[in-house]
Amino acid sequence: MAVPKRKMSRSNTRARRSQWKATVPPLVKSVENGRVTYRLPHQAQVVTDSAGTPLFLEYKGRKVADA
Amino acid sequence: MPTPTKGPRLGGGPAHERIMLANLSANLFEHKKITTTVTKAKRLRPFAERLITFAKKGDLASRRKVQGIISAKNRTNKTIVHELFTVIAPAMANREGGYTRITKIGNRHGDNAPMAVIELVMEPVSPKQAVVQEAEKATETAAPAAPAAETEATEAPVNEAETAEAPAAETEAPAAAEADSTEAPAEEKSEDK
Repeated sequence: MAVPKRKMSRSNTRARRSQWKATVPPLVKSVENGRVTYRLPHQAQVVTDSAGTPLFLEYKGRKVADA
Repeated sequence: MPTPTKGPRLGGGPAHERIMLANLSANLFEHKKITTTVTKAKRLRPFAERLITFAKKGDLASRRKVQGIISAKNRTNKTIVHELFTVIAPAMANREGGYTRITKIGNRHGDNAPMAVIELVMEPVSPKQAVVQEAEKATETAAPAAPAAETEATEAPVNEAETAEAPAAETEAPAAAEADSTEAPAEEKSEDK
């Protein structure tokens, strides 16, 4: 099995890791009851009650599954 | 016919994929709604819809074909085939394809696999038309009280009364739609509370 001959320097490690980037998810903006909400497109949303307890998953006004 | 799948099969090989699709479709017909990965749901959709097409045909040859696919190795699946032919196929009678619905529900905890719910579309086709028919019936029952006097007086206004009825039906249909739309936010508010 091939193994590295040299220890990778801290500088090289950090230079490589500096290229890691987070991608912005393509969110859909919508206004519900005067509040601006963002959601992932083409995916069911979790409907919660006022306490934030998840009730069920909903997509296009249709109940999809239990949360 | 579904488009042939290119690339690797699901699972370990072609036989594994066949068995997996048979099991998934059997469970779909048993429970009407199953949660699985997006990839499996997408592969299952044409497979299951083809079986429903066989079920809609309903003859003995197609029944044996479906039994050969679903319950070749599992005799208990014969009840599922029976339910497919007697319950699911009549419910899909007016539907021309599109028997299943796939909804993505996010990633699974554990392996972060994208999950989906695949379900049979058992609702009657085009509920909008049903609403319009209801509205027209309502106007027919409500309207004759007023135009009855006119129709007795002369025959000529009959056409006018009918033309008057037609817009009335149209106006009531959007009203019903508005009522639905106003109900929906109300429900959401009650859920928020």
